[in-house]
Amino acid sequence: MSLHKHSCLLVLAVFNIYPAVFGDGVNLAVSDPADKPRQTSSLSPAVVVNPPPDPLFSLNLLSSLPEDPEISDYCSELLHIFGQLYVDYVTCLVPAARPVKVCQNCYSSFGSLKNIYTNISSDQEGPGNVSCRDSLLRSDRLMLVYLMYSNLVGIWSKSACDNCITEGGQSLTNDTLFFLTTHNQTLTCFEKYKEGNHSQLCTNCKSPYKDLNELYSGMEKNQTLCIDIEDAMNMTRRLWSKYYNCSFPREETVPVIAVSSFMLFLPIIFYLSSFLHSEQKKRKLIHPKRAKSYASLMNIQDKLS
Amino acid sequence: MANITKKVSWSSRADESGATGEGTPLLNGSEQPRHSRQLSEGRSIFQIGRLSTVDLEEEITSDEDSLRGRPKEIPHNEKLLSLKFESLDYDNIENQLFLEEERRMSYMGFRCLEISRWVVCGLIGFLTGLIACFIDIVVEELAGIKYQVVKQNIEKFTEAGGLSISLILWAVFNSAFVMVGAIIVAYFEPIAAGSGIPQIKCYLNGIKIPRVVRLKTLVVKVCGVICSVVGGLAVGKEGPMIHSGAVVAAGVSQGRSTSLKRDFKIFEYFRRDTEKRDFVSAGAAAGVSAAFGAPVGGVLFSLEEGASFWNQMLTWRIFFASMISTFTLNFFLSIYHNKPGDLSSPGLINFGRFESDSVAYNLYEIPLFIAMGAIGGILGALFNVLNYWLTIFRIRYVHRPCLQVMEAMLVAAVTATVSFTMIYFSNDCQPLGPEHNEEYPLQLFCADGEYNSMATAFFNTPERSVRSLFHNQPGSYNPLTLGLFTLTYFFLACWTYGLAVSAGVFIPSLLIGAAWGRLFGILLASITSNATIWADPGKYALIGAAAQLGGIVRMTLSLTVIMVEATGNVTYGLPIMLVLMTAKIVGDYFVEGLYDIHIKLQSVPFLHWEAPATSHWLTAREVMSSPVTCLNRIEKVGTIVDVLSNTSTNHNGFPVVVQVAGSDEPAKLCGLILRSQLIVLLKHKVFVELARSRLNQRKLQLKDFRDAYPRFPPIQSIHVSQDERECMMDLTEFMNPTPYTVPQETSLPRVFKLFRALGLRHLVVVDDQNRVIGLVTRKDLARYHLGKHGLEELQLAHT
Repeated sequence: MSLHKHSCLLVLAVFNIYPAVFGDGVNLAVSDPADKPRQTSSLSPAVVVNPPPDPLFSLNLLSSLPEDPEISDYCSELLHIFGQLYVDYVTCLVPAARPVKVCQNCYSSFGSLKNIYTNISSDQEGPGNVSCRDSLLRSDRLMLVYLMYSNLVGIWSKSACDNCITEGGQSLTNDTLFFLTTHNQTLTCFEKYKEGNHSQLCTNCKSPYKDLNELYSGMEKNQTLCIDIEDAMNMTRRLWSKYYNCSFPREETVPVIAVSSFMLFLPIIFYLSSFLHSEQKKRKLIHPKRAKSYASLMNIQDKLS
Repeated sequence: MANITKKVSWSSRADESGATGEGTPLLNGSEQPRHSRQLSEGRSIFQIGRLSTVDLEEEITSDEDSLRGRPKEIPHNEKLLSLKFESLDYDNIENQLFLEEERRMSYMGFRCLEISRWVVCGLIGFLTGLIACFIDIVVEELAGIKYQVVKQNIEKFTEAGGLSISLILWAVFNSAFVMVGAIIVAYFEPIAAGSGIPQIKCYLNGIKIPRVVRLKTLVVKVCGVICSVVGGLAVGKEGPMIHSGAVVAAGVSQGRSTSLKRDFKIFEYFRRDTEKRDFVSAGAAAGVSAAFGAPVGGVLFSLEEGASFWNQMLTWRIFFASMISTFTLNFFLSIYHNKPGDLSSPGLINFGRFESDSVAYNLYEIPLFIAMGAIGGILGALFNVLNYWLTIFRIRYVHRPCLQVMEAMLVAAVTATVSFTMIYFSNDCQPLGPEHNEEYPLQLFCADGEYNSMATAFFNTPERSVRSLFHNQPGSYNPLTLGLFTLTYFFLACWTYGLAVSAGVFIPSLLIGAAWGRLFGILLASITSNATIWADPGKYALIGAAAQLGGIVRMTLSLTVIMVEATGNVTYGLPIMLVLMTAKIVGDYFVEGLYDIHIKLQSVPFLHWEAPATSHWLTAREVMSSPVTCLNRIEKVGTIVDVLSNTSTNHNGFPVVVQVAGSDEPAKLCGLILRSQLIVLLKHKVFVELARSRLNQRKLQLKDFRDAYPRFPPIQSIHVSQDERECMMDLTEFMNPTPYTVPQETSLPRVFKLFRALGLRHLVVVDDQNRVIGLVTRKDLARYHLGKHGLEELQLAHT
């Protein structure tokens, strides 16, 4: 019954709004998720036939829906807020890309984005007994809101920021803060000695750098690393090893070569001595019994043939 | 001409016969053309036989004497057949006891037998899987400890100085483990040395290799392989799995352990060579399948190596054993890895998944793959030739156990040294990957956050190195590293194979191949401007690994299937098959496969698939041994004891003849009896006189023969009193009344086919009146083989 009603409505709408070619952008965005669901959820033949592969035609269809009763004001409000927060978070992310500070700078905006999305996706009904989950999230093939959000979640989980944020998402963990402090100390030390001879830097900053390294290894074992920390450490290591050249030098070549040539010499002695001193293993040959009368038998055969 | 006739063994016999005055001049003249043809053949044989032995012998002047009289001593070489190897009694002995037992057995009895065969196969699979699992876990744990300790040590000394101490520590660790492994092998069970595949191949071929399927061998094998892999040698644990599976099969199917002196009184029916050999083929298949996660490959391995005696039900049972084995391993490994129920690590070696788009191949790559197969064939042949010379040297000079242990320890120390030096001087640093494929990354002189790329190849168990060569990102090795690695590992692996440690050659071959294959892939990408089409060097690493392995072991069908199954991607079937074919063709042009070389060097009378070509002119008369020691159907005990105790002959089968009473006609063949049967008869004193005096004496049953199997006591341990020597023994009931016979004109290939297809041990040659004139055994057939100069004849020797 409702199917019938829907299809009638649609057909009606199509004819009604045919002349209105383009709606405004906001309206489009809002109504987009609201319109598709009906097409997909109501499997009436009329609907299936209805949208022909004509872009003009379907655009016409879209612009008809602002006054669609199914998308409530509440939902469009949510959608709007979602959009705002989304933009905020992305604006925060981009400048934090290099050097990576996505966790420290943007955890709060991600938190709010997460909240609003939770609101949207919860099946609790808001004011007016409407749930926006169906209308906003899963009404069409594209599922734009979900797609956009899941992209950001992907970024978030790939950066492993959860490891550096406290449970509620309110602040950075103590470990992270401690690491950042130590990191800063090391950098200050680098800053202090970077003029002049780097070997001085290597000796003087060794202890803070070593502390930092150990702290990092400990966190690596506990799996409490996020991309910020990893990147900071990577950069520091690169500075230390490549830029200031404080890696260990290869300076014991002679003893290593001596020991290894001694080792390599041993088998030669071994094989030589076993060749010279070991008794060579000999095999005793046995002469098997064979037909003695072989030749005579063959002669007989030859004679016969 | 006369001089040559003296040298040639056959023509010297012709001389002899001439001397006895049997041939008339006329007949001699008529045989001349044929004779001379054989002469030329014989001469070439003779020269080949001698050439390799001439060097240390005095000039052959008195060869007439040495050929006939006193035994001659020569250094060991590959053109010998050892006397210590015997055939298995695969052929069923249908004597009266057997028929009686069959008559007594109910229909249910046969059904139960069939069911118990399945149960045995299931048990074989299960136990083999467990052993594989045990080896894997112990190796992983011990190697983990070793590498952790060495790694910490290296880290400590990188900072403080004194890396040569780490080097010594590493070398000592390796030598210590290998010493344990080598001691148990060299002193307790030398047969457990090596991969065990040649031995199992021989066993499936129908040869009884002494002690090869004993419990002690299994224990030594398992401990030995753990020691040698943990000891960092260039070896794998896959080959020994096949041997272990075979031992498990031979043990389980007998329902008892002679070593532990426990008899569970089950599976008694299976206590004979026929059944045991079938189960051993199932065990070998289960071993392959546990090692590579390749159940079908395992079945095909058994088929390829033991194909002569085969039936469909057996194939199905073997497949069952293989499946059980791989999934037992799978299940227990999943528990060990804390993912119970996740059945995704089917073999000891896991090639990882080749499923992404980047490892897809295209038609234009096929010629490249074939070229890689040719390279693999050449490198494999080089490997085999080097190993051949080394093995000859080892057999001749390094034969004392203490020397063997020392050699193994030296190899271990040198392996550690070479690896360390390579790592030390390598400048190839790579950033640590996000998911840490490297188990024990070594930093050494690399920048912080990077690791030494040479160390991923050397400082690791070989299995892991193979996997990282297959799957690491493009760019994680630079070409120089790979080149050096290939070179050193090639020689290390070649040097290691044949040591007195139990270890296989599969993984080192794969590793060498993967290294140069990856190198090949990288070079391809660098010489072509469009690098994307050669995207993944891992693909070339896989093909290289297949090529190298094929070039060394020269297995065909089974290896292809094993590789495809281990890769887990059927679309690689075609390139892998092509590569293995090419590798075999190219390699066979130079030298045989490694296992065949080792079988030859062991002087095993191995029967190949076919008789040597161009041997049709040889007849049974020339092949057979003659005269034959025959027994009468009712024979004096004294005679039997004397025949059996004659150490110079040591025959195992005796044709039984019957003398037509009263006439002086020669005796005619009426059966065949084995040494083992005679010994059991003597032990139970089944004498005609005794049977008369004690009528209530229990009749001997087949069970008595089975109880004595497989270790029949030597004749010396059986006491026969002077009185008993005069008794008579009636063999009618016990002999095989219908032995296979051939007329003396049968050609060698025909005889050969009978042997291969029926698994014969003795074949009686009779004349047209059914008189025994000769006996063909395995050694008579195996001595002919096709060499570079036509047909050659191997010599028999004590080893």
